[in-house]
Amino acid sequence: MAKSSSEILAWVAEVFETPAEKIRPETRRDEIDAWDSLGILALMAKMDEDFHILLTDEEIQRLNSVRDICDVLREHDVKIDP
Amino acid sequence: MAKSIVRGTAIRGVFSAVPSRRFDNFTDATGFTEDEVRKVVGMAGVKSRRMAGDSVCSSDLCQAAAEALLEKTGWEADSVDALIMVTQSPDYLLPSTACVLQTKLGLPTTCAAFDVGLGCSGYAYGLYLGALMLSGGGLKRALVLHGETPARFADESDRSVSLLFGDAGSATALEAVDPAGTTPWSFVLHTDGSGYQDLIIPGGGFRERFPEERRRYCVSMNGPNIFNFSIKRVPPVIQDTLDLAGLNKDDVDYYILHQSNQFIMRHLSKKMGIPETKVPLTLEDFGNTGGPSVPLTLVRGELTRPSDRSLKLMLVGYGVGLSWGAALVDLGPEAILGHVEYENRS
Repeated sequence: MAKSSSEILAWVAEVFETPAEKIRPETRRDEIDAWDSLGILALMAKMDEDFHILLTDEEIQRLNSVRDICDVLREHDVKIDP
Repeated sequence: MAKSIVRGTAIRGVFSAVPSRRFDNFTDATGFTEDEVRKVVGMAGVKSRRMAGDSVCSSDLCQAAAEALLEKTGWEADSVDALIMVTQSPDYLLPSTACVLQTKLGLPTTCAAFDVGLGCSGYAYGLYLGALMLSGGGLKRALVLHGETPARFADESDRSVSLLFGDAGSATALEAVDPAGTTPWSFVLHTDGSGYQDLIIPGGGFRERFPEERRRYCVSMNGPNIFNFSIKRVPPVIQDTLDLAGLNKDDVDYYILHQSNQFIMRHLSKKMGIPETKVPLTLEDFGNTGGPSVPLTLVRGELTRPSDRSLKLMLVGYGVGLSWGAALVDLGPEAILGHVEYENRS
């Protein structure tokens, strides 16, 4: 599956119901209000729904920025074009 | 593999019972901002819950449900051959709560009575055991009671479980019937104990007898792991049960899922391609009551019941253990459903 970088950023913005302009690769978890324990469930659900990815506990622990989300997607063979 | 078809059992009635004390998450919750409550309610779908308080046990709720059930079905107490109590909130570590209920319900001493220590998956297991006992011959009538008081074992300051849990009991009357005249029931029952720590009350058992910290006696949940478990395990167990019965998903009238969390349940429905109208929700009024949420939803889920045919119900439990199971059963038009409130005295 291939997605452009901007598509992925827009997808993250949708998951956390956050304005797209606030989402950059370097945006940290603590900068996104909705990225709390409920937000993680929303992220897990969308990962499953849109990419058929079930995140492991270890992967969830590693997610601290938007870049980390992109890295996990790549590790699950989602190609992200620059 | 635990897949089984059981013939010759009918459901004569199902009653649910909840405490009369209602807890409104919007007006009664303390320690949360209004926004926080709104967010949790939006996700979990729980607006209010029924709370047992410190003096009401799951056995009290089950007793109330069973007494109403016996009365409405016209069953004499001494006609009951077996009592199965499914619970993880027993009255005592010993004796079995089923023994306490045998005498409280006035069941005969010739009655077999035992507890099953399962939670969210418990209803499918309880029905399986009840149906199996009846189909084995000799026994004619069985009561399957399933009750939990999760609100009593939740620490309300723990945000992973607060605002979510309610308390409920249930009673189901099973009767042996001629297998020739009924549709067989299908069961698929599974376990993955590697996740036992994902939903656990660590203290108070014999592994950790008297911990000093009060929180050790309360439930602790790893939400993301339970979410993963649910979406990984529930769709296959439903499909396996359909396959076992030789049915398609459209052949089922209702999928009555353990009322874990609205967000998870909607995700599951969508993932399985089951219309939301076939997945009744009772979370809004009762919260997550553990495994008894399945019979509670069977009774209170506003099921449309045709008068000329049985409903085909997929009853699915999943959670603590980790344990999960599905029971595909028929509910005849003559089966009596009812609901009672148990008056909190303190």
